[in-house]
Amino acid sequence: MDGMVLAPADFVALLNQTLEFAYPSVVIEGELSNFRISKNRWVYFDLQDELASVKFFGTVYNLPGPLEDGLKIRVVGSPRLHPRFGFSVNIASISPVGEGSIKKAADLLATKLQAEGLFDETRKRRLPEIPATIGLITASNSAAYADFIKILNERWGGVVVHLADVYVQGAQAPLQIVRAVEYFNELSSLVDVLVITRGGGSAEDLASFSDERVVRAVAASRIPTVVAVGHEIDISLAELAADLRASTPSNAAQLVVPHRSQSIAGLATARKSLGDVITQRFQAAAQETQSSREYLTAQVNLLLSDRQKMLQSTKKLMSAYDPRAALKRGYAIVSKQGKTIASVRQLKPGDNLGVQLADGTIGAKVQEV
Amino acid sequence: MAKSQTKTYQQLSDELNKLIDWFESESVNLDEAVDKYEQAMDILKRMEEHLQTAENQVKKIAVKFDAG
Repeated sequence: MDGMVLAPADFVALLNQTLEFAYPSVVIEGELSNFRISKNRWVYFDLQDELASVKFFGTVYNLPGPLEDGLKIRVVGSPRLHPRFGFSVNIASISPVGEGSIKKAADLLATKLQAEGLFDETRKRRLPEIPATIGLITASNSAAYADFIKILNERWGGVVVHLADVYVQGAQAPLQIVRAVEYFNELSSLVDVLVITRGGGSAEDLASFSDERVVRAVAASRIPTVVAVGHEIDISLAELAADLRASTPSNAAQLVVPHRSQSIAGLATARKSLGDVITQRFQAAAQETQSSREYLTAQVNLLLSDRQKMLQSTKKLMSAYDPRAALKRGYAIVSKQGKTIASVRQLKPGDNLGVQLADGTIGAKVQEV
Repeated sequence: MAKSQTKTYQQLSDELNKLIDWFESESVNLDEAVDKYEQAMDILKRMEEHLQTAENQVKKIAVKFDAG
């Protein structure tokens, strides 16, 4: 290269080729300073220590959440010489490091997302009572996976678990988790419930679950989502955005399916109460038939006795009209040639009469009229 | 996530609850009651079988979630 004359553009191209070959990816950790976002899209900052300061460049999509100067962060990127703006490291991923910085970054993000309402109780949906399918996002070789499946099998059967095997820590974890959540949400037939889980670890190990992209993906999931990270005491922002937080992977399995022994007991109760209810229904119907029979009998009897009374009074009335009753009291019926005589004008002296008394008829002759 | 031909436990549970509601309603036709009672017993049997025999399956998704 000695004595070789290069145009500035050629020098830049040559240097970038060399950098790409020698340092395709570097990981740099330092204190964040001069952090700024331009046009809501471009991100610029420096990482520094006591002896040096390095410039970085990226987009907002690389950010794990809101950042501020003073935080200690680790950046994965590739060094580049820009033809006009000079040297910088192009960012591939950023993660806060050290407990203090991780907590500070999580607090900044929590405040922002809280204000947007991502953690509101009103956003939370109920899980299905008994899922037939579960989308499980975790590392397949992890204790978290083994614990979840173990407890699931102990409690319930017949569930199809679709496992998305992802990194749950490290620089690749946030985007892998986001892609897995999106994968499940884009299926034409959705799973009944989504479970995102990992075991306990250091603040750094769990940091992916407080990454803004992960938290937003959880909040945006169309599928009811459970997030279980770490031990009882670890709370990540993804858990706050989930429909339900579980304290451990085992606890997630407890929350998504009932225990079969409870269900067996429930079925026995249902069987007994169905038996009882059908017996009651038949008894009630028999009782109703019996009551109807008694009512009908009573009604018929009432009708009969009414008719009987009516008959009696008619009988009395009829006997009052009976002419024989008058004959018994001493009256007589006078007839001539079989015709009853009601007037003296029908008679003349010498007519032969029949005189009917109560106990017989006598013959008589008219003497005078 | 194609659902299998057989009914899920939740579907059976929903059907059973519908039948229980029917039995608890005001007007129950006795001829229908016998029929529905038999249906309920059949569903209960299938649910119990599910609880005693069904096993979970894990299907690993053949998709890489790597960046890029």
